[in-house]
Amino acid sequence: MIQRVNTDLKKDLLKLGVKDWNECFHCGNCTAICPLSENELLFPRKVIRQAQMGLETSLQANVSPWMCYYCGECSDTCPRDANPGELMMSLRRYLTSIYDWTGLSRLFYTNKYMEFAAIIGLAIIVILLFAIWGPPLDPSLTSEGGVKINSFAPIKWIELGDWSMAVVVGALLISNILHMFYKVIIKPGVKIPLTTYITELWKLPTHFATQAKFRKCDAKGKFYWGAHWLMMTGYTVMFTMIVVFLPEFQVEKVNDWWHWQRLLGYYSTFGLLFGLIFVIIGRIKQNNQIFKFSHLSDWLFIIMLFLTTISGIMLHLFRVGGMPYATYYTYIAHIAILIPMICIEVPFSKWSHLAYRPFAIYFAALKKEAKELEYKTNLSPEAA
Amino acid sequence: MEEIRIGVYICWCGTNISRMVDVEDVARELSEMPGVVISKDYKYMCSDPGQALIIKDIKEHKLNRVVVSACSPRIHELTFRKALENAGLNPYMFQMANIREQVSWVHDDREKATKKAKALVAAAINRVKWHESLDKRTVSINPSTLVIGGGIAGITAALELADTGSPVYLIEKTTELGGNMAKIDLTFPYLNSARQIIQEKIERTEHHPNIHIFKNTVVDEIFGYIGNFNSIIGQNGSEIDLKFGNIVVATGLKPFDPSGLENYGYGKFPDVITSLEFEKKLLSGNILTNEGKDPENVVIIHCVGSRNRSEHEYCSRTCCMTALKYANQLRSAIPDANIYQAYADMRAFGKGCEELYTSTSRKGIMFLMFDQQNDLPVIKKAEPGDSCNMLIEMNEKLSGEKIEIPADMVILMVGLEAHEDAKKISHTVGISLDGNSFFMEKHPKLDPVATTTSGVYVVGNCQAPKDIPDTITQAKAATARIMGTIKQGEVEVEVITAVVNEDICCGCQTCIQVCPYTAITYDVVKGVSVVNEAICKGCGTCGSACPTGAIRSRHFTDNQILSQIKGLLSKSLELKEV
Amino acid sequence: MSYEPTIIAFLCNWCSYTGADLAGTSRMKYASNINIIRVMCSGRIEPLFVLTAFREGADGVLICGCHPGDCHYHEGNYKCLRRYYFLKKYLTQMGMNTERMRLEWVSASEGKQFAELADDFTEKVRNLGPCKIKEAAETLT
Repeated sequence: MIQRVNTDLKKDLLKLGVKDWNECFHCGNCTAICPLSENELLFPRKVIRQAQMGLETSLQANVSPWMCYYCGECSDTCPRDANPGELMMSLRRYLTSIYDWTGLSRLFYTNKYMEFAAIIGLAIIVILLFAIWGPPLDPSLTSEGGVKINSFAPIKWIELGDWSMAVVVGALLISNILHMFYKVIIKPGVKIPLTTYITELWKLPTHFATQAKFRKCDAKGKFYWGAHWLMMTGYTVMFTMIVVFLPEFQVEKVNDWWHWQRLLGYYSTFGLLFGLIFVIIGRIKQNNQIFKFSHLSDWLFIIMLFLTTISGIMLHLFRVGGMPYATYYTYIAHIAILIPMICIEVPFSKWSHLAYRPFAIYFAALKKEAKELEYKTNLSPEAA
Repeated sequence: MEEIRIGVYICWCGTNISRMVDVEDVARELSEMPGVVISKDYKYMCSDPGQALIIKDIKEHKLNRVVVSACSPRIHELTFRKALENAGLNPYMFQMANIREQVSWVHDDREKATKKAKALVAAAINRVKWHESLDKRTVSINPSTLVIGGGIAGITAALELADTGSPVYLIEKTTELGGNMAKIDLTFPYLNSARQIIQEKIERTEHHPNIHIFKNTVVDEIFGYIGNFNSIIGQNGSEIDLKFGNIVVATGLKPFDPSGLENYGYGKFPDVITSLEFEKKLLSGNILTNEGKDPENVVIIHCVGSRNRSEHEYCSRTCCMTALKYANQLRSAIPDANIYQAYADMRAFGKGCEELYTSTSRKGIMFLMFDQQNDLPVIKKAEPGDSCNMLIEMNEKLSGEKIEIPADMVILMVGLEAHEDAKKISHTVGISLDGNSFFMEKHPKLDPVATTTSGVYVVGNCQAPKDIPDTITQAKAATARIMGTIKQGEVEVEVITAVVNEDICCGCQTCIQVCPYTAITYDVVKGVSVVNEAICKGCGTCGSACPTGAIRSRHFTDNQILSQIKGLLSKSLELKEV
Repeated sequence: MSYEPTIIAFLCNWCSYTGADLAGTSRMKYASNINIIRVMCSGRIEPLFVLTAFREGADGVLICGCHPGDCHYHEGNYKCLRRYYFLKKYLTQMGMNTERMRLEWVSASEGKQFAELADDFTEKVRNLGPCKIKEAAETLT
């Protein structure tokens, strides 16, 4: 297939945070030093080349940006200071905006006012919902001395909200993944037998849960993987509890501290706080390649997650401390931060990587298998 | 007859010879040959202590002949002859055996190599016995110089020489001075105006009292030898007889004609132009396509006609940097143009060149790499719907993708190649051409200015493609050499000429027929042939043809060569039987 | 022990000797059977030299000069060529295999060609076996 060189693509990439699109002169040191780059999928040099030349089809079919966990070895090694690591980060933004068929991702990445407006708008809707339809605030406590949280925010209504949000966000994300599948597998015409889809499927949950590839990136003991994994599992536990186990989680009774509901909550809090503080200090100090450049979307995600965590902790403290009004207001604030965060970040912005990374690994494995198969058939006596 | 006392010296050349030849064994074995007084080996014979060793031995042991077994006589024969002279011996009582280029560097069996070295040294020893003293011959130097070619190389040489007061005859084939340099706009890597530099030089040349310019003129024939050349030049119907002492060949190169390369469509697409045609656009101040529009997409294709087995295998050395220069000029002329460099390898040697590459690569220029050997880009007509008028299809090596580039203008960076008349010029001045029809220098490293013909120097592109600073350096180096000979007033020349033994000559005149220089005449009174030693160049053809053996080629006499053959074979066979 | 031929090569100073030097500076390996004798021009090579070489025990004689048109002395190589054909006839009449003598043009830039020629000629002469001229001449005298 012949592709037309399109240097206009660079304008697009510049908007998405790419700095020096043409600095790289292709020595390949980055690919040589990268602990994750393998023979089947070499990066970052090749994808940098596709970006430079504006080979859109190849670039959009290339999943290697998702393979990168930004250890920064490449940027340290680059003789031209072309920051390949940061370019990979920017390409992840580009790919996110490409996979998202609604165009909102592109809008939020390239226009910060629209992003703020969306966040604030959603927050106001949440607050208005509580203000208009919320029950009157009840300052009295239950007989056991707990705050009457379930009368303030009835489980069934909150569950309804949880599930509708999960469905909308999930649907958007799934449609984006299908779009990604089209760009990566269908459009370049990769032929993959159905059985391969099944045999390789185990890679999806495994990588989601372990992020094993990230560990390879952590060879120098920078602890990124550890911090990230704590944060990821912390959030996953919390998310599962509030969506699936809400009746057990949102309780008026103050459980003993060793109760599983409280222990899991503490684990989540610890994981999130530890990871977030690690990242925030890193980004402020810019003490490592991974933290050297911070796009607005990077900061927004961290700040919103941090505020969600802090409001969650306060909510817990006020509830356990039996302070009804503080509990109710904090509850509203917590939801007003949480909803925009999930609705914006998961399908349209940085948080989408929770799905794109494992799928990229899955698709890469499919492509590798397809290539091996093609190789075998071409070498077989019948083909000859 | 005096007793023959030979000194034999075997050089180690560091490890160059000693690695493959047992030099100590050679020295020991050859010391037993009749006539050999001493036989030594030494690390570096050509070094000062090495030469001092020979001089000391000549004096102490009353040596009257010397054999040095080392590298090629083309490199150090003169060095050792000088040493003999310093020791008071005639420099021609010397013979060299080449055991480096012909033994240690080309063989890999140490035993066989040592045997061969012994045979070669034995041959030299046998030969040197027949050597005879030859008197030095000097010729006076005519202070005038003939400069062929009026480009930057020729002009520089002419001005340098004329400024010292020596007359210069400057021959230019075309009607204008300036050559290729007058056709270009800016020079790399500092982007100065070429015009400004060359215009001032042309004017100075044209008005210089010591420079006589002959435009529209070619030199057909040159007679004579160093210091005393002459040539007859046709000028406006009349003939002028020029006499000069030295010759500077500065005929330059011409741009490669890309018409034969079908993939580039030169001649088919009006917007596919050569670098020199682009220079014309730059000089005119308008970079416009054939339709008179500003080009949006400009593709510069490198190595057209260079570094490819089917055209020229060599690198033309100037095109990469010129292409970068164009990118800079295009960037400033059309700031938002898409500029592509389709290249094979970026060669940025030379002062300021890598810096030019670095700064250019930061100006938003796209570098695309192709396979210059097997997979050249192809220029096609664009589809009707396209905004450009050409598409360049290529397999881009850095991405591994097959791509097409939109183009409104394509600049072919054509290489440099020899003029059609290079061979004729080489015959006229008596120098050799290499495989690319570039004039051959005397030694690629040690003497890249002189040629194998004394008094003839090659400067500039005609010797090999080079940029302007290198050309000027070479031109000035040649003029320094010429001024040296002019200042001395006379120069030593080879005494290896033919001589007739009038007692034996039967007057058959066979020699006169074979002499390529008409150096032999027939003396009717004596009835014998006579060699004019000033004209004779010592090829020895007459000596081989002489039926009576009356003609001897000095330093290559029958006896010398025959004894060399005998010495070689007797040693070789003797060693074979062992 | 296998038979190793001895070969004398007459090389002109300007093209072929320089070409052989180039083979050396380029470190091209070739058979050590080739022994080079330098003359100024291939035009200097007398039939007597070639015959003497055979008489003294050479198994082959190689003659190299500039390519036609490239002679440093304009036309010495043509003279050489004419003598070569003449000599070939003479060798035939003497009952010698003319393949023991060979004339090739080698320019100053043809180091590789010289090395290949040296190997090729050595191989050919090796296949011809030892030259018996020297023995025969010694028995006769």
